[in-house]
Amino acid sequence: MPYNPGDDVVLVQRGPSPGGAGGAYRAFGETLRGLKQTFQRLTEGTKTIQYPEEKVPVYPRFRGRHKLHRFEDTGLEKCVGCSLCAAACPVDCIRVVADENTPENRVSAGERYAAVYEINMSRCIFCGYCEIACPFDAITLGHDYELSDYNRSDLIFTKEMLMAEPLDRTPLRTAGE
Amino acid sequence: MPRPEINWITFSIDGREVKAPENAMLVDAAKYGDVEIPVFCYEPKLGQPVGACRMCLVEIEGIPKLQTGCSTPVKDGMVVHTQTERVHDAQRAVVEFLLINHPLDCPVCDKGGECPLQDITYGWGPGTSRYIEPKRHFVKPLELSPLIAIDRERCILCYRCVRFSQEISEDYQLILNERGAHSFVATFDGHPYVAPFTGNIVELCPVGALISRSYRFRARPWDIEGAGTVCTLCPSQCNVDLTVRDDRVLRVSARDNDEVDDGWLCDKGRFAFQHIHVDERITEPLMRQDGKLVPVDWDTALTAAAQALGEAGPRAAAIADGETTNEEAFLLQRLFRERLDCGNLSARPGGDLPLPLARGLADPALQATVPDLEFAHAVLLLDCDPIDDAPIFDLRLRKGVRRRDMNLVVASARPTALDANATTVLRHAPGTAEALLVALDAALSDDRGNLGGAASAAGSSAQAVQDLLEDLTSAGGDIVILYSERLFGGPRGPQAAEALLNVANRLNLTGEGAGLLEIPIGANGRGVREAGFAATHGPGFAPVANPGLATHGIAEALAEGQLSTLYLLHTDPLRHMSDGELWERALSSAQTVIAHESLMTETVATHADIVFPGEAYAEKEGTLVHPDGRVQRLRRAIGHPTPFNRHPGSGVRAGWQVISDLAKLLGLDFGVFAGSMASQQLFAAVPFFNGLTLDEIGGRGVRWPAREAARLAFGETSREPVALDVPPAAAVPSEDALRVGTFRPLWSSKEVDVSPILQYARPTQVVELSPVDAERFGVADGDKVEVGVNGTQVQGAAKLRHAVPEGTVFVAEGLSDASSSLFNYGTVQLRRLGGSAEESPINPIIGMPAIGESPFNPPRHELRESPPGTAPRMNE
Ligand code: SF4
Ligand code: SF4
Ligand code: SF4
Ligand code: SF4
Ligand code: FES
Repeated sequence: MPYNPGDDVVLVQRGPSPGGAGGAYRAFGETLRGLKQTFQRLTEGTKTIQYPEEKVPVYPRFRGRHKLHRFEDTGLEKCVGCSLCAAACPVDCIRVVADENTPENRVSAGERYAAVYEINMSRCIFCGYCEIACPFDAITLGHDYELSDYNRSDLIFTKEMLMAEPLDRTPLRTAGE
Repeated sequence: MPRPEINWITFSIDGREVKAPENAMLVDAAKYGDVEIPVFCYEPKLGQPVGACRMCLVEIEGIPKLQTGCSTPVKDGMVVHTQTERVHDAQRAVVEFLLINHPLDCPVCDKGGECPLQDITYGWGPGTSRYIEPKRHFVKPLELSPLIAIDRERCILCYRCVRFSQEISEDYQLILNERGAHSFVATFDGHPYVAPFTGNIVELCPVGALISRSYRFRARPWDIEGAGTVCTLCPSQCNVDLTVRDDRVLRVSARDNDEVDDGWLCDKGRFAFQHIHVDERITEPLMRQDGKLVPVDWDTALTAAAQALGEAGPRAAAIADGETTNEEAFLLQRLFRERLDCGNLSARPGGDLPLPLARGLADPALQATVPDLEFAHAVLLLDCDPIDDAPIFDLRLRKGVRRRDMNLVVASARPTALDANATTVLRHAPGTAEALLVALDAALSDDRGNLGGAASAAGSSAQAVQDLLEDLTSAGGDIVILYSERLFGGPRGPQAAEALLNVANRLNLTGEGAGLLEIPIGANGRGVREAGFAATHGPGFAPVANPGLATHGIAEALAEGQLSTLYLLHTDPLRHMSDGELWERALSSAQTVIAHESLMTETVATHADIVFPGEAYAEKEGTLVHPDGRVQRLRRAIGHPTPFNRHPGSGVRAGWQVISDLAKLLGLDFGVFAGSMASQQLFAAVPFFNGLTLDEIGGRGVRWPAREAARLAFGETSREPVALDVPPAAAVPSEDALRVGTFRPLWSSKEVDVSPILQYARPTQVVELSPVDAERFGVADGDKVEVGVNGTQVQGAAKLRHAVPEGTVFVAEGLSDASSSLFNYGTVQLRRLGGSAEESPINPIIGMPAIGESPFNPPRHELRESPPGTAPRMNE
């Protein structure tokens, strides 16, 4: 059977045509309503934030760049290299290679420690599952969101980078702000 | 005992009617109805259940108390419930009880993620703990052995490890000390648990109490990939599963195949994987320039090798061994026969058998299978010791004796590890297995004259031979003769093969469940020969126009300059061939030695002129043939190593690729562009492999003798017994000369030599002698002694063994140093050199450090933390 496009046409119901007065209101009335908003804000002064010189403060629960922690009293790493964060990570961006603590080289409190701990920040979706999975509160997500770089490979954060105190670059929103 | 018949019955589980084999344990029967009953201690591989953990409780109508599903056989009409409140209460209670003293240190525990205790706690446990009292503590972790660490706090006392040691490997070393909550797994006096099969307990342990030290903290289950392949470190060819992380093999576990390995591995197979990633690996082609091996690119090496082979033509030779796949052997023999017109190919250290005999021994009707070792009425262990030659067969024979009432009959020169399990043990003189077979043949045919003569030639008596035969035949007709390829070594090999075929004939070993089983010397010895890599026959035992020289002939011809180029395919003649001295001369006088080898051995370093880097078995693809004819498949688990900073392709290449590239340079195009194409060519060329495909082989392998193609290829063969002559009598020991025999310890392999964790097991030379002789020569256990004849000497530590017959000594061969392959069953002089040799004394039975004198740091003081008789340390 030859194809007849007309068979497939569906008729759409249209509203009544606005007419002359209605047409004019459409052309000017709606525009004026928009402009009202503009003129109201005009008096408030500029709101542009001069990023990167200025920054928006983030909420305390904001999830940004990760940090690995140490025990404050002993200075040992909290991470035992259990890989549970790697298992929890939905994008598979954490790599942990564990090793054994020896009396000469005690790194963490348990039997094992993370010899290699890497997070691929270009893949991370900042879901925070790693923080929830960690049985030792060894990894938390901080507030830093400035993570761009010129090289993809520089976005693989090593254990040293994650252990280091991050530059305090992100202002935190204070209570009530 | 023949295989039991299966009788199917119907029972009801959770309201469903299910068919299951009668007398299967409820836990197994429930699986037929898709019902899972949690277990800890139940493991069918370990034999009878013990009911130690109570995890498997179920309710059975008509029985007031809950029953353990793992030890209650299912009967027709049984009504079982696993989902009632009573059962759930019991399961929660058992989990809570098991966790009372469990440290719950999953984050640092190696088992985490693959731990049955975790799984069962999630699935069946109460979810919370009510226990607030201090837990029981042990010192942890400790070395149980150089290979295994033990964490006693995690142990749930399931007895699996102890049962393995007591009932499977029968080394009787592991026990549970103390009582109740204070029980702990240990050896009875705290010595390291060293035996050939210890690694299996790591896999058996349902918690993280027993941990492999080579895998400790290496990876989590979600970091790794599994890759199934076949272990090529000995002829047992166990099916293994490699654990791979970041393209490195980290662990080897069993990939249960009842027809091959029964789910066990030996410690060599489990831990010598370390040889894949060591500095001794050869990762690029090398050539000798100014006396030194220097790296070259593939083109240079291949061209040089092609030129050397092309110039040599029929004056070339090749020997192969070990991990050579069927495909590599097949392609290399094609290259030699078709292009070089040269048949000097051999994979048998003892020399090749004439074609009719080689073919006769491979007759499908005569082949026994590995399970036959367990289900036969009787097994004759003929002058070999499976613990050294093919260790998994040792476990199979033990299982047969223990669980199936099999009669084990041992006739060997050297005392075997299975003597204690045998019904009869006959000790003959070293090297006289042929005479023993002639005596057996005479006894079977009532030839009294030959019987007496041959029995005394074997250093035994007619009566002993008849007793042996009585025990062998009394139980029934399913008889298996397990022998080693070494039987055919030396000039009288063909006669020995005749004698063996005669005996097989007279015992009528052609039926199901009976037959011959040969343990080859190389891991794939059988496959290499069937692929045509032999002096006397082509692929599939096809006759060849001009047979070449076998190993001994090749060595002599090389030494005399009649041959010029030698291709060594994964083999080290200095180490593995008898007569090392002749080979030393042969290698030195050869013009070009091409070594295709994965590890830098002494021989490669001193003698090779062109070196092709070889693959480790985890990198290989191809097929192997198991001693019982099962064609198995090697699959690549990891990529080929490449030298640091070099482009891919400059490093190790596949064996089939190297050989076909070489052939191409010599003007012969195999048309092989992939490993599977080489396999196809092989299957087409060998009549009894016809029609095989890699898919058909799959993960479990296919026994070719059971295929239709085998029947077509061999037809109905019948063999009339031939008349045998009595071989010359064994050498007679005298006042100052002792008979000498040799053995090749399980641990003598280049892979063990370079694996860091197995250094404790590396064999050193021992001289085994009987205490009577020792007293005569004034030698004490451990003294340094020297045996020798005509200027060839071997030194080693004396080891006194009561089971060694008087007037005989045994020395190890195939060691990296001090090889003793120079003695061809004559007599030797023995001389004491001095007091205790400084090397570690080796336990001669298993080639392992003697108890309490291990060279590695013995953890005894730590184990003594809880000395027998006192409670283990409790703190808090
Ligand atoms: S925040 Fe989420 S995505 Fe990022 S590393 Fe953690 S688990 Fe992975
Ligand atoms: S950060 Fe936490 S979860 Fe990740 S490896 Fe370390 S201890 Fe384990
Ligand atoms: S044995 Fe299992 S449950 Fe126990 S600590 Fe190890 S992983 Fe956790
Ligand atoms: S060490 Fe493991 S296998 Fe042995 S009894 Fe304890 S839990 Fe069972
Ligand atoms: S599995 Fe039944 S008692 Fe342990």
